[in-house]
Amino acid sequence: MKSTAVQERDHTSASETLDRLERQFTPEADFTPNGNPVVQARGITRTYGKGDAAVPALAGVDIDITEGRLTAIMGPSGSGKSTLMHILAGLDQPTAGNVWIDGTEITHLKEKRLTQLRRDKIGFIFQSFNLLATLTADENIVLPLSLARRKADEAWRRSVIEAVGLQNRLTHRPAELSGGQQQRVAVARALITRPAVLFADEPTGNLDSRTGGEVLDLLRRSVDEFGQTIIMVTHDAGAASIADRVVFLKDGRVELDEDRMTRDHIYDTIKNLEVAR
Amino acid sequence: MTRLAFRSLASRPLRTTLTVLAILLGVAMITGTYVLTDQIDNGFANIFETSYKGTAVQVEPKSSFSSMEGDAPQTLSDDLVAKALAVPGVDKAAGVYETAGAAIVDGKPVETGGAPTLLTTDTGKPFNQSVLVAGDEIQGRNQVAIIKSFADKTGLKPGDTFTIAGPAGLEEVKVAGVFEWGESGSLGGTVVIAGRLQDVQRWGGEPGRISGISISADPGVTPKELAADVKAALPTGLSVKTGEQAAADATAETADAIGSFLTPVLLAFAGVSVFVGAFIIFNAFSITVAQRRREFAMLRALGASRRQVLTSVVVEALTLGVLASAIGIGAGLGVAKGINLLFKALGADIPTAGIALEPRTVVIAVIVGVGVTLLSALTPALRATRVPPVAALQEGATLPPTRFARFGTITALAVTALGAGSLAFGIFSDGGTNGRLLFMGLGALMLFVAIAMLAKFIVRPASRVIGWPMEKMAPISGRLARDNAGRNPSRTAATAAALMIGLAMVVFVAVFAQAMKGSFSDAISKSTRADLVAQDQSAFLTVPQATVRSLEKVPGVESAAGVAFAAVKVKGGGILTANAVDPTVWAKVWGHDWRRGGSDDLFAKLDADSVILEDGSSIAAKVKAGDTIAVTSQSGRKAKLTVLGFYRDQMAYSGMMVSLDTLKKLDVPTAAGMMLVRTDGSEGTQAAVQRALAQFPTQKVQTKTEYLDAINQQVDQILMMFYGLLAMSVVISIFGIVNTLVLSVHERTREIGMLRAIGATRRQLGQMIRYESVITAVIGGVLGTLVGIAMGYVIVTQLGGDDLMFSLPWLQLVVFLVLAVVVGVVAAVLPARRAANTRILEAIQYE
Repeated sequence: MKSTAVQERDHTSASETLDRLERQFTPEADFTPNGNPVVQARGITRTYGKGDAAVPALAGVDIDITEGRLTAIMGPSGSGKSTLMHILAGLDQPTAGNVWIDGTEITHLKEKRLTQLRRDKIGFIFQSFNLLATLTADENIVLPLSLARRKADEAWRRSVIEAVGLQNRLTHRPAELSGGQQQRVAVARALITRPAVLFADEPTGNLDSRTGGEVLDLLRRSVDEFGQTIIMVTHDAGAASIADRVVFLKDGRVELDEDRMTRDHIYDTIKNLEVAR
Repeated sequence: MTRLAFRSLASRPLRTTLTVLAILLGVAMITGTYVLTDQIDNGFANIFETSYKGTAVQVEPKSSFSSMEGDAPQTLSDDLVAKALAVPGVDKAAGVYETAGAAIVDGKPVETGGAPTLLTTDTGKPFNQSVLVAGDEIQGRNQVAIIKSFADKTGLKPGDTFTIAGPAGLEEVKVAGVFEWGESGSLGGTVVIAGRLQDVQRWGGEPGRISGISISADPGVTPKELAADVKAALPTGLSVKTGEQAAADATAETADAIGSFLTPVLLAFAGVSVFVGAFIIFNAFSITVAQRRREFAMLRALGASRRQVLTSVVVEALTLGVLASAIGIGAGLGVAKGINLLFKALGADIPTAGIALEPRTVVIAVIVGVGVTLLSALTPALRATRVPPVAALQEGATLPPTRFARFGTITALAVTALGAGSLAFGIFSDGGTNGRLLFMGLGALMLFVAIAMLAKFIVRPASRVIGWPMEKMAPISGRLARDNAGRNPSRTAATAAALMIGLAMVVFVAVFAQAMKGSFSDAISKSTRADLVAQDQSAFLTVPQATVRSLEKVPGVESAAGVAFAAVKVKGGGILTANAVDPTVWAKVWGHDWRRGGSDDLFAKLDADSVILEDGSSIAAKVKAGDTIAVTSQSGRKAKLTVLGFYRDQMAYSGMMVSLDTLKKLDVPTAAGMMLVRTDGSEGTQAAVQRALAQFPTQKVQTKTEYLDAINQQVDQILMMFYGLLAMSVVISIFGIVNTLVLSVHERTREIGMLRAIGATRRQLGQMIRYESVITAVIGGVLGTLVGIAMGYVIVTQLGGDDLMFSLPWLQLVVFLVLAVVVGVVAAVLPARRAANTRILEAIQYE
């Protein structure tokens, strides 16, 4: 059950938040990526179906994701952006090509090793939060550690919870939290294992723009403050404008790959891509 | 809408299969019951038709009444054979003497597994309808023909010798021939040994007596005319029937005996299975209707009426019911075979013939199968109609409650009260046994439903307790399993309730058997002053009282007493057992629990005209010491007996105690069916007594402890049979758990996918489902155990009076709880695999 009270707040502040974020992370901002690729993909193709009915979703994608940066993957629907993310995260197998996460080639990993990899190296944020309804916020946050039967590093847990601003909500269950709060729990859950890379699939898709802005702020801060590598799939120009780098896909290929784009620039690019169709 | 129903069934093949199975097994048990009892009827009809095939008229002594207690055989003088032969129209007349006995091959009594060993007369053609398959006709003294099944079992061939133990003792006989009986060739496990009339009479210790006369007719004389003529020519008080009538009567009598005992017992167990199945249908429909909430809302939004939604669900239930009934009837044939095998394994080999699927069986099976499915699906179907069209646009999968939902708890309490009332009425009312049993059964049924309705309140706390050790073993899987079990308490409660019912019955039976065993042991231990007990435990052969008394000459024996059992009809008191003893020795071996001021001294006064009554017998309440009761024996003799006093004993010697002289007066055999021997405790006395009974090798001399162990074993055998029959309902409840879990896993696909995505292993997911299953099963198991104990307590203390003592079979209870855990683990195999195999990508992609 979503708390409507939160959604009803005035929406004018939403765009302000985005503006502020954009200002904060303009190309002029002080930023030094250390340049190591955490995720590398070479020659990724993915074809659904066989023979005449074969539909190519990805038609040869090479990409390097550098450590400590927020990369947004954009593109019109059907462009293959979700498929690319699934393959980079080891959720889907490419028809051809290779993916390395933190130096490990993952496309031929056995089920067990993949699970291990997900536990140790990968974090996920889903569009629909996907919290466990029966667990408290705190329990949801440490769930990946519980699954791995590991203890949380107390200091890290505290800083993550502080970063997402949920100190007073820890004993609440998802049903007692607003959508934005639920997604912040999901972000904390993804951060808690200090993954090599965090995948966010339309993280603001189910949120209004104000709470969406808060979540984006949070993602941005985890990159800046914790050096977290994030790959975010989105179709929202506002969301993509906080990224260090924006990759546009079209018809299964990388159409454009640029650092630090403004919202307007992104809007234009999307429009151009769609017109060019 | 009908097409939608079929689509819905087809789109959930696993759920459809599991629900069909749940109801199918109950239907199969009902079908199996009827098929088996019909087969047994046919089997006996076959046997009796064969045995009377060549008989035009059958003459037999008339029993004044028959009782369940093994009627004392009546006999006639064999002078009557000549009289019958003299009747015009009679071609041949043959006297038949029959008695129960035992065969001793290579020095050991042949075990028949409860079936009788029949010593009978070879009456020759045309009466003897058996077919000789080896050897020759009987030629001379102590030559016998034996049935093929017996020859096969023992390896006896024509020319071999073996020993017959009859009521009169041992005789060596020689096998002349081996025969088969009628079409089926066998009589179940019954051993048949046929000899010449005078030989069999001697074995039975009744020379000159016959059990009946078989008569054939001259050409042109109808059996009916001949029967009338024979009846007119012979003394009155005899039963004279045509062979056809005799066969029909014998068949009907057997069928009646089966119909009044076996059929209701088997049907009761089948009923439990059907009842358990009903819970599963209810649950399956509740869950799928909830999951299809949006679909129903969409249909309503598109203009479907409530009635159409209802129809679609009802048609679905109807289809399942018809499908389950059809397959269940087929499976019932297998169940009939299974139950028969169960009987055989437990030593009851009953003759059966043919595959007997009567139209009546099919009709009942279909009515029950379809009826129960429809009834169980009705509430979920009604809830489906209450889904508002707007729900199509909403998230979540909760169903609107029915109009009566807010009365749920009140309804449950009302059902509880009604059930308890019905149970109490059944226990305390004075009505007929069947009526009382019906009320008790109905009461138990309602209590089960009420507990299932109320169980949702304990699901959460119970999951916490049961889940605790799991959380210790595997913290996160245990935690999630516990949460999931408590997520939809009604669903978990209904699923657990299915197991509860089967287990409650199992526990009840165990508690009851424990009470029987304990009380019997206790009664015997308290009352007996004897150290040894001798009895023929399979053929119930008796020993002459003179032989019993002669045991007192055996070194080490202080006293020996024999008890003869006879059924007597008491005026105003029904049929009771008369336990006849020699009053001069009885008190030395047995101390009664005296009531109303009685004492051992009463036996000094016990003569042919007096009786000591068991205080709990129906007549005891109506008389006091000094009154007279009128009794009739099966031979028709009447006697008036003065009541000397009262004792209490519903375990060993219920009915009444009389002297052997009374039995003589009533024209009933006085040979001892049981011997009690008191020793001086010196070693080797048991063996010495056994040696002294060398002429009666089937009599087993046992110490008190051995005797009680043997009785307990018999109770355990019956217990095993009941467990076997109840196993079906436990199996059905497993399907119920599987079904609920599969549907829940489906419902939580996205959540499971997320868990996988953030690093849960397949093993962890499997564990999570397994634990949830075990929690559900253990809730059912604990509830069932508690309910079973409660039912056992009520029945034992209320119905058993002070004769049955309530005690708990701890070891078995522990075994049952372990069984519940096993049920949980087994039920989880498939759903756990499904959960573990969830494809992350498909699970997390938005629907």
